[in-house]
Amino acid sequence: MPGRIRGQLLKGTTTLLVLTVLRDGELYGYEIAQRIRERSGGAFFPSEGALYPALHALEADGALEASWQESDRGPRRRYYKITKSGLGMLAEHAQEWAAFSLGMGQAVGEPNR
Amino acid sequence: MTIDWLFAFVWIGGWGAFLIAAIWLVRRSERRLSVGPGDPYAPIAPGLDGSEPMAAYLDRMTGALALPAGDVAEVRAELIDHLQDSTATLEAEGFEREAAIREALGRLGPPAELGRQLRAAHQSNRRLLAGAGGGVFAAGGGFVLGYLGGAALALLLALVLAAVAAVLTLVGVRLPDIINSSSGGYAGNSLMLSVMLAVAAAFATRYAVRTSAGLSRRAPRTVAVFWAAAAVLGFGWYALFGLRGQQSWLCVAGEACIPLAAVAGAFVRIERPMPHVGRWAIVCSAISVVFLVLGLAAVSGSSVIGTGQVHEYQPADLHLDTVAPAAPAAWLPADDYVVTGQDGGQASATHIDAQVISPSSGASASLAFATVLINWRDLRFEAWHGQPTWQDSGAIGIDTHYTSAFAVQPAFLQGKSLQADFHFERMRDARSWWVVLTGVGPDGSRYRLGDGSGNWTDFYGSAWDWLTAPQ
Repeated sequence: MPGRIRGQLLKGTTTLLVLTVLRDGELYGYEIAQRIRERSGGAFFPSEGALYPALHALEADGALEASWQESDRGPRRRYYKITKSGLGMLAEHAQEWAAFSLGMGQAVGEPNR
Repeated sequence: MTIDWLFAFVWIGGWGAFLIAAIWLVRRSERRLSVGPGDPYAPIAPGLDGSEPMAAYLDRMTGALALPAGDVAEVRAELIDHLQDSTATLEAEGFEREAAIREALGRLGPPAELGRQLRAAHQSNRRLLAGAGGGVFAAGGGFVLGYLGGAALALLLALVLAAVAAVLTLVGVRLPDIINSSSGGYAGNSLMLSVMLAVAAAFATRYAVRTSAGLSRRAPRTVAVFWAAAAVLGFGWYALFGLRGQQSWLCVAGEACIPLAAVAGAFVRIERPMPHVGRWAIVCSAISVVFLVLGLAAVSGSSVIGTGQVHEYQPADLHLDTVAPAAPAAWLPADDYVVTGQDGGQASATHIDAQVISPSSGASASLAFATVLINWRDLRFEAWHGQPTWQDSGAIGIDTHYTSAFAVQPAFLQGKSLQADFHFERMRDARSWWVVLTGVGPDGSRYRLGDGSGNWTDFYGSAWDWLTAPQ
């Protein structure tokens, strides 16, 4: 069981981060990358090459909705918004992450905070 | 005649709803396939500010995408936007312009790998299934719509050809008649059906490809390969084995066009949107057809309420001596006798019957024919090619271009008559035929017993039957 959770978490880290930052509102691609960096205090810097495939896969799965909107800079930008299905997916991933974090903490002997 | 209005309403309404749903599905899914000024999905791509490395990167990434044009445009626009933001941030952090671009591109990773990952993200199994199912549905709608359009096109072509033929006939040019059943068979009908099915097949594959490509997020030409293969198998099988009717080389050629049209529908200009047929195009077409019909009626001398020209039946020289000399009257029974041919229909044998007719009543004599001809032997029916005719009813006598019968059957006694069955509907070259009863007389020579009978029998079957039939 722990092995299965660990595999899914490793694969879904970007998904969890993207869904988390989008829970607060609509963002476009570069903004999502920046927001992840800010929220992690610069400790977590997602691969930009993996960000867009993850965004498009989440959109294909129905977790996100994308729309082209006017931007203050001129050309339209592609904004992403989390859907109801995406919120459910976020809850599942967060739960898995909590279980993984707890398990890892116990395994390496550090106190769980 | 009573009309079941409820059934008619449900039938027409059902097909209408199916067509509307199929067209809606195609229109909706094909929005992904192109980027046009009126396309709501079309992004307004920002410029690259003359950045060669960015353009080269995006081109390499696009090469690995293999997505519909709408998706490609969106991905490119989104990445350009990202690269410009990223470059600006890096420049603000102290990078030189060129170094900032290199760094921004490096953070996105290898372009081909990014393209492959984006393609995998778009082309999920769920979308593939949706594309396959939607393609089948759209193909059904396209087939029905194409069949209706093909019927209109075939009718228009028939009217144009009839008008041309009428004009040429007026000036004395004789043309082969492919419409009149008595002289040319129903090849015209088979050809019209082929045109209708070819248009329907082309519409079906085109609808299927564009819908599948849009829903499954694949490039239309990638999807077209699969649909073309399926169409060749499906429509090819149907054209070769399933489509049964009057056949000729012209009909077989028309039927061969059905799978070819399906393949053409899958590939030709498949990236372009389907042409929009406007209101005025439909109105103008309808007016053209009306004028064409009126013009044809005027040229051919008939009116919409008249009966048109009447072709008088003119008996011609039967050329029966080509078969064999007539038997001496002294060797024949006193009663008259006839050879009659009964066409068994499109898919069964033509039945030939020779029987003695009583001159007084015209009814069949009680004496068996073979008993009357006791001194004759080797009685047989010989089928000869009939003379080509032009809009006359029935074949007239023997075509002297031939020196032998194309089919011979021994006569067998059935009841009071001599009979034989010929499968003219399975012989490519039969069509116009004339059957004569012959036998070897007391002097050992073969003679012709009576004048015989003739008719037209069209080849009936599939294209495969035609191709493998004996001459």
